[in-house]
Amino acid sequence: MNEILSTQGLYKSFGGIVVADNVTFSIAAGEIIGLIGPNGAGKTSLFNLISGVITPDAGEIFLRGLPIGDLPLHRRARAGIARTWQHVRLFKTMTVLENLLVAPRECSGESVFKLLFGGGAYRREQATLRDRANGILARMGLAPMAERLVTELPFGQQKLVGVARALMNDGPCLLLDEPMAGVEGTAYETIKTIVREEAAAGRAVCVVEHNISFIKDLCSSAVFMANGRIMQTGTVAELFGNKFLTQLYFGT
Amino acid sequence: MHYIYSLLVLIGIYVTLSASFNLIIGNGGLISIAHPIFFALGAYTAALFAINFGVPVLFSIAAGMIVALGSSFALSLPALRISGDYLLIASIGFQLGLVQIIKNLDFTGGAGGLGNIPSVLSGETRDIAFAVGSLGMALVVVLIIRSIIRSPYGSAITAMRDDELAFVSLGRNAMAIKLVIFAIGSGFAGLAGGVYAYYYLYLSPDQFEILQSATILTMVVVGGMGSTLGPVVGGILLLALPQAITFLQLPPSIMGPLQGMIFTLLVLVFLFVRPQGLISTKRLHR
Amino acid sequence: MNDFSIIIQILWTGTAMSTFYVLFTVAFALPLKIAQLWNFAQAGFMGIAFYTMYVAFDRLYLPVWAGLGCGLVATIAFTVLMERYGLQTLRTRHASILHFFIFTLVLSEFVAYLLMLLFGTEPVTLFPSVLSPVHIVANIVVSDWDLIALSTTALLLLALLGFLRFHRDGQFLMAVADNGPLAELYGISAKRAYLVTMTIASVFVCVGMYLFGTRAGIIPTTPLELMLVAVIATLLGGIGRIFSAALAAVVISLVQSFSVLIIASAWQNLVLYGFLFFTILIFPRGFRIPRRIKVAPRPAAGDV
Repeated sequence: MNEILSTQGLYKSFGGIVVADNVTFSIAAGEIIGLIGPNGAGKTSLFNLISGVITPDAGEIFLRGLPIGDLPLHRRARAGIARTWQHVRLFKTMTVLENLLVAPRECSGESVFKLLFGGGAYRREQATLRDRANGILARMGLAPMAERLVTELPFGQQKLVGVARALMNDGPCLLLDEPMAGVEGTAYETIKTIVREEAAAGRAVCVVEHNISFIKDLCSSAVFMANGRIMQTGTVAELFGNKFLTQLYFGT
Repeated sequence: MHYIYSLLVLIGIYVTLSASFNLIIGNGGLISIAHPIFFALGAYTAALFAINFGVPVLFSIAAGMIVALGSSFALSLPALRISGDYLLIASIGFQLGLVQIIKNLDFTGGAGGLGNIPSVLSGETRDIAFAVGSLGMALVVVLIIRSIIRSPYGSAITAMRDDELAFVSLGRNAMAIKLVIFAIGSGFAGLAGGVYAYYYLYLSPDQFEILQSATILTMVVVGGMGSTLGPVVGGILLLALPQAITFLQLPPSIMGPLQGMIFTLLVLVFLFVRPQGLISTKRLHR
Repeated sequence: MNDFSIIIQILWTGTAMSTFYVLFTVAFALPLKIAQLWNFAQAGFMGIAFYTMYVAFDRLYLPVWAGLGCGLVATIAFTVLMERYGLQTLRTRHASILHFFIFTLVLSEFVAYLLMLLFGTEPVTLFPSVLSPVHIVANIVVSDWDLIALSTTALLLLALLGFLRFHRDGQFLMAVADNGPLAELYGISAKRAYLVTMTIASVFVCVGMYLFGTRAGIIPTTPLELMLVAVIATLLGGIGRIFSAALAAVVISLVQSFSVLIIASAWQNLVLYGFLFFTILIFPRGFRIPRRIKVAPRPAAGDV
């Protein structure tokens, strides 16, 4: 198995509340893993630990076999971890296209030296970036909105932009935090298609979702978390066959 | 006539200070009141190079700019490691401390000030040259800042302002951007300082105290943070309006405080009536 | 007078002189702790307190208690107005720390200019004479002013401590300081807490200015300088630690008093700001004495 991302015994507590308790799991290239569980189970916290927003009290995180636990946030993204946010977190005063243009792994736009001394190479790079961004927008059906302010878009489309922005990171790992919440219709189908395509291209994808049909449709396997611990991993059918888990999740 | 020219020189200097301060605060979101200190560093450096080493005017002003730019890291590096809010307090301390040091060192002339700055040109030529130079400097600085903001780098800055966590999670080095913006803004303040030193030919620590800082700060806030034109308007308005009563020929003991009251009252009014600034743009920088 | 006496004298007088700094520092540190507000308008309050009392004593010849009363009323009124109409508005707008800074500082400046216009720039004291009766106690000069200053300050500090610890309203203040939104959930009004905080600060400011003004003269810009000491002491004591800040104020005052023995008075300010510089860069959270960490006892074998 071509393991892209793995964690080993991650532990994190906030003043008595344990959000991650001995979390060990991995995602391989081409896999789409569903991360499910009740609210407060620690799913988003796990994403935060992996992407570097919070540091674990104990445990390791590996990307392609190399430990990334010591890397600050921005370096983990450059190493290849792309993620979306539950609350989208787009750059509100910018257009859709502008949101994408600051999102690639290596971005010459963030260097003032390249701005001043980059010359022709800099301009060409910016042009390539623009093409790439437009390509992703086209792929997601967002091309007509490219010059619109993100705040002008309906919520569902904003979520699409969030995913598009994450796709600008062409790294091996994609973490999607509740991409379907508040989304329906064509946006729903678009995201499903995109996720399949990315996995097919060799990415390791992990999706936090409450939308069970999405999980059933898409995920090769799932991980059930509660109280910061992984209760069970397996196929979606196996998980939902476990009465204890469905009781925990649905209360029935 | 001399009065008009010196007002123009002053406007040029203040617009440069406002615009560069706006880059730091409005665009970069870094709240610091140490800007006048870099203005002072630029002024003193230029003066000292001129007096002690006979360096020609353009080079000593450039030296002032470089020293201001470089020393900005002494404040930004330690302070930003703590938090963005902490920068304000650290900058207060930095400002107070450096003014004290200037007051107590001999080679800076101490509290008595630094005079004997070699004069460039004389008479009306001098006035015209400095007015043109100062306004030219302001124009160039405003244009440079504008083009930075409109570049991809400016987009990065805006994104950082909008949501820093999301920004950093994309792979961007926000700390580096903040340090650079702070340095560029401070460098321009140093540039203005050099021009100031050569025009007024006399520097003293009182000119750079904490209240001067607040003055520049208010020009930026009243003018409108984040917009290019805002601080320009704010600078001109807040400089000119209090001056408007000079023609009333009141005794200085009334004139001084009255001008101060007009200035502060204007700021308070604008702060509450038009908090977004005189010139605000819906999208921060375009 | 032998050397030892000189040291004791400086210690005594220095501590007595630190009293108004302590009061100004506590007045500054309190809103910072409770409302996370850097109240640079304090200089404005200080000016108003002083000049109201000045008018009461020097122009209206009111007795001490009446003059103090006037000062208190004026300061509290001003503070409450600022809190209610200024700060509340900014809070509702979710204004940035920048706007609060500008507002409070410019307010102080406005007051300073107004006072300059009304009273000019000649130094004035609250009473025509700043001399108070002295006693010689064991070779040390002790003045009535010293005694009044020290006892008043000690009393006010104790009252504040008692209030914050034992009185319901004081405990509410601490709750709001700790976690404003949470306190609101429990029915504690943050707005009321802020008003109480500012009132207490006004009292400290007023008494402090009385003590200062019966000892030395001020001009309208003096409060801004005095406030700086309060800011520095607050930073040294650690943001949020009121009594540490008070202690820092005493230390600063004593260091300045003793430094006269060693360095020229011109360098005294440098000592002060050097302290500040050093603290900001190395101890941004204030001086802290590392607490000895208690190791929890291991549970006995039989316990689960």
